[in-house]
Amino acid sequence: MISIRDVVTKENIKRKNTIDGVTQAIFMASAILSASFIVLIIVFIAFKGLSPFLLNYEGYNFQQGTVDLDPVNPISFLTGSQWLGGTLGLSSDYGIGFAIINTLIVVFLAIMLSVPVSVFTALFIAKVAPKRLANVMRTVVELLASIPSIIYGVFGLGIITQFVVFVAGFFDYQTAAGLSLLSTVIVLSIMILPTITAVSETSIRSVDKTIIDGSLALGASDIQTYMKVVLTAAKSGIFAGIILGVGRALGEATAVALVSGNLFAGIQLNPLGTTATLTSRMLLGIKDTTGIDYDIRFSIGLVLMAVIVITNLSLNFVMKRLGGIHEQ
Amino acid sequence: MDAIFELKNINLYYGQTQAIKGIDMTIERNKVTAFIGPSGCGKSTFIRILNRMNDLIPECKIDGNIEFEGQNAYAKDYDVIELRTKVGMVFQKPNPFPMSIYDNIAYGPRCQGVKNKAQLDEIVEQSLRRSALWDEVKDRMKESAMGLSGGQQQRLCIARTIAMEPEVILMDEPTSALDPIATQKIEDLIVELKELYTIVIVTHNMQQAARISDNTAFFMLGELIEFGATDKLFATPQNPKTEEYITGRFG
Repeated sequence: MISIRDVVTKENIKRKNTIDGVTQAIFMASAILSASFIVLIIVFIAFKGLSPFLLNYEGYNFQQGTVDLDPVNPISFLTGSQWLGGTLGLSSDYGIGFAIINTLIVVFLAIMLSVPVSVFTALFIAKVAPKRLANVMRTVVELLASIPSIIYGVFGLGIITQFVVFVAGFFDYQTAAGLSLLSTVIVLSIMILPTITAVSETSIRSVDKTIIDGSLALGASDIQTYMKVVLTAAKSGIFAGIILGVGRALGEATAVALVSGNLFAGIQLNPLGTTATLTSRMLLGIKDTTGIDYDIRFSIGLVLMAVIVITNLSLNFVMKRLGGIHEQ
Repeated sequence: MDAIFELKNINLYYGQTQAIKGIDMTIERNKVTAFIGPSGCGKSTFIRILNRMNDLIPECKIDGNIEFEGQNAYAKDYDVIELRTKVGMVFQKPNPFPMSIYDNIAYGPRCQGVKNKAQLDEIVEQSLRRSALWDEVKDRMKESAMGLSGGQQQRLCIARTIAMEPEVILMDEPTSALDPIATQKIEDLIVELKELYTIVIVTHNMQQAARISDNTAFFMLGELIEFGATDKLFATPQNPKTEEYITGRFG
């Protein structure tokens, strides 16, 4: 019979410590590797994205041959109301101010459309639906979240743009084959629906049952309890879902690029007119992988990241202001 | 005797398990009735019959005759919302809503459609005065109710119930989560409130039942073992099981 004391030897303990050390080193190496990718990407985008403002690029066309281009003016880039003044390849007069505004409009409208539907769906799944139906619905929402954005894009292109054409028909309005602000908003709101629903549902489900009982015991109806007490108690979770949704909407490129029409200039307020987001401007029209028209896309990328960070910070600030006082 | 609740032959089942076994009871108006008994004896289940909170449990089935103010409270045409506005409830764990102190009190009246600001102000002030909380919170009505101490939260929950001007206030172990000083305040409050309301209280604490109640019901394993005037029940219990319990030989 072997005693446990025979196994706990100096050598065994030493071996164990060595394995621990090696394993820790592997963990750390993995962490450094993934962190360094983020740094690498930021450095690369910053390097590429800042070049158009600092360097003289070479332009080229068949009539004039090679020409020297001025660096892009950062102020007119950020405030510009049209994508490109002059001829492609012969001008550095890029502007994306209008696309920033259009992006914010698109995302705001998508959120407005998506939030009520998401929150009511979440309430239904978490509180109203019988258990089995709730499980089915939860799976459906998860599936919706896992559909690739290109699928949403072609769905938007094939179905939603047709719907927009149909709607525009009532006003005798000629759309750009349905590519429009409205299509973009609808596609985006469908895409962010599962994100907001899932996060809200988790938060609604975790609302303390005792306060629900408290409300019902006061003679409040089920609906009053859901709308006034449950939603109030789940507010910060729902807001977190909205912030995630906004993040996804701001960064979504493929589907948006397919249905927006990629407007060239101006702020679009007409739902049936085409629009352009930062991402659609970034994605569409790439011809070469060198030169100013390529590098300027990285400049948009920098602006996009800044917009996302600023939006996130301001929404977090608003959330603390609105919901923070009742946290225990 | 002025009865507010008349209960006859009450049986309650959770699925296959019978939790309440053939209980008859009359609850007197403007008296404090205490329910005592060991854990799992059915006293909390029984109190929830009175405002139909058991309706929320899908597996729960109740039979028997439950009359509130002479009407069958479980009749198809008796609205559960009306019952709950007349029979308020305070829970074991203080459960203020994550809203301001004012909104907590105004919640019930608002749910019934009271919108007038002056009227709400009056209801809030009166409810807080009656629950002896007004002086402590009158300058912080807009602050979150979650910032109050446990004892204050529980008095807020009582005030919230009072705001509905109920006939009955049910209390399910209202002091079990509180320290002795907060408990003392709630007990004083209960004695004051019985002038205006009928109070039914579930308690683990036999001294508490002896101190504040007029009538006491002793439950065991879903049965009502003994029910009567508190001083009599504690001084000369009729049933040997009651005697064993109140002298601390089990439970």
